[in-house]
Amino acid sequence: MSEQTHQFGLMEMSAIREMSNIGLGHATTALANMTGKSFNMEIPNVETVALEQVPLMMGNPEEVAVGICMPIEGDITGHTAFLFPWESAQDLWRMLIGTAPETPGDIDELSASVMLEIGNIVSSSFLNAISDMSNLKLHATPPMVSVDLVYTIAASIVAEAEMDEAIALALETRLYGMDDCATTGYFLCVPTLSGLNQLFRALGIAEAA
Amino acid sequence: MSTGTQLLVGMADIKVAKGPATFTCLGLGSCIGLVAFDEQADVCGMVHIMLPEAFKDKPVDKIGKFANTGVPAMIAEMEKLGANPSRMVMALAGGAQVFKFGSAASSRLDVGARNAEATLEILRGMRAKISAQDTGGSSGRTMIVKSDTGVVTVRTVHGGETELCCLRRGRRSAAA
Repeated sequence: MSEQTHQFGLMEMSAIREMSNIGLGHATTALANMTGKSFNMEIPNVETVALEQVPLMMGNPEEVAVGICMPIEGDITGHTAFLFPWESAQDLWRMLIGTAPETPGDIDELSASVMLEIGNIVSSSFLNAISDMSNLKLHATPPMVSVDLVYTIAASIVAEAEMDEAIALALETRLYGMDDCATTGYFLCVPTLSGLNQLFRALGIAEAA
Repeated sequence: MSTGTQLLVGMADIKVAKGPATFTCLGLGSCIGLVAFDEQADVCGMVHIMLPEAFKDKPVDKIGKFANTGVPAMIAEMEKLGANPSRMVMALAGGAQVFKFGSAASSRLDVGARNAEATLEILRGMRAKISAQDTGGSSGRTMIVKSDTGVVTVRTVHGGETELCCLRRGRRSAAA
């Protein structure tokens, strides 16, 4: 394979893993507070994969999902997104507004805004946690929602992120409901290379090449 | 019932084949799937383009990723199998803006539209024959090409499956 991926040292990788672990812990708590259900998450997978592989990282790429994407601005730039497989998205709608659209074509302003709100709150919790740990300014920009195949949503996020600036790694994890709740979702974060270097500088870790 | 080689054309991939083959570009969002076919040589090729243009200050990691490098590279691969660019018929799909809800959705830079524009610009520059195109909108598309029949179909989550065009002039029945 001739794809070029940036190589980070063990120190950098474990710092990213640790920060995203804490950040996602906050995000998971925010989701639990919103829905009144318990959620858990898997240890985030941080990979310096070739970006064209990213759409294949999250469950079944041909599954229909609701994707909420938020560009990150501030000292670190990049994109974060949550993807909920269709049936899990329907669970979330039922938890929050008591009813869910039957098909993707039935999504109206209200159901779309519920997803925007979930994205807003959950991604902001993630970003705030990173911001507190690093003392860097990070802010979420208004979220956008899409209903399509997992592959399509993830590919479009990666393309948009790469259009702005080079991205070097993808951070991905699965959230899942506990007890009686079968809701699952995927979190994706693609920071830009310059954003990552900012983060490493703020943490006092050697800068990535 | 499948005929010939099954080729999954992932992001930034270029696939070419002589003889019967089925090409699939899964879930094209802002990406573009471009297919070219030379009926006389029976050579078909497909590229899954991600971005309009290679970065000027960064080496091209994968040649199929960008419209300006991917299109010529696919044609060159096809020529190696005996195809002639002047005989090629093409079709393209994708270039959607899949994030349609949210206040910022319309104001973001639209990678899909820029991908479609860049690809068409390159095709026009080489006077390519474009049989059909299905670009823009807000739905992701899965594009499937069967080179034995020349039929190009496009499938969406919201609108089912439709035939985009046939790249063979004399349409062959599958039974022949």
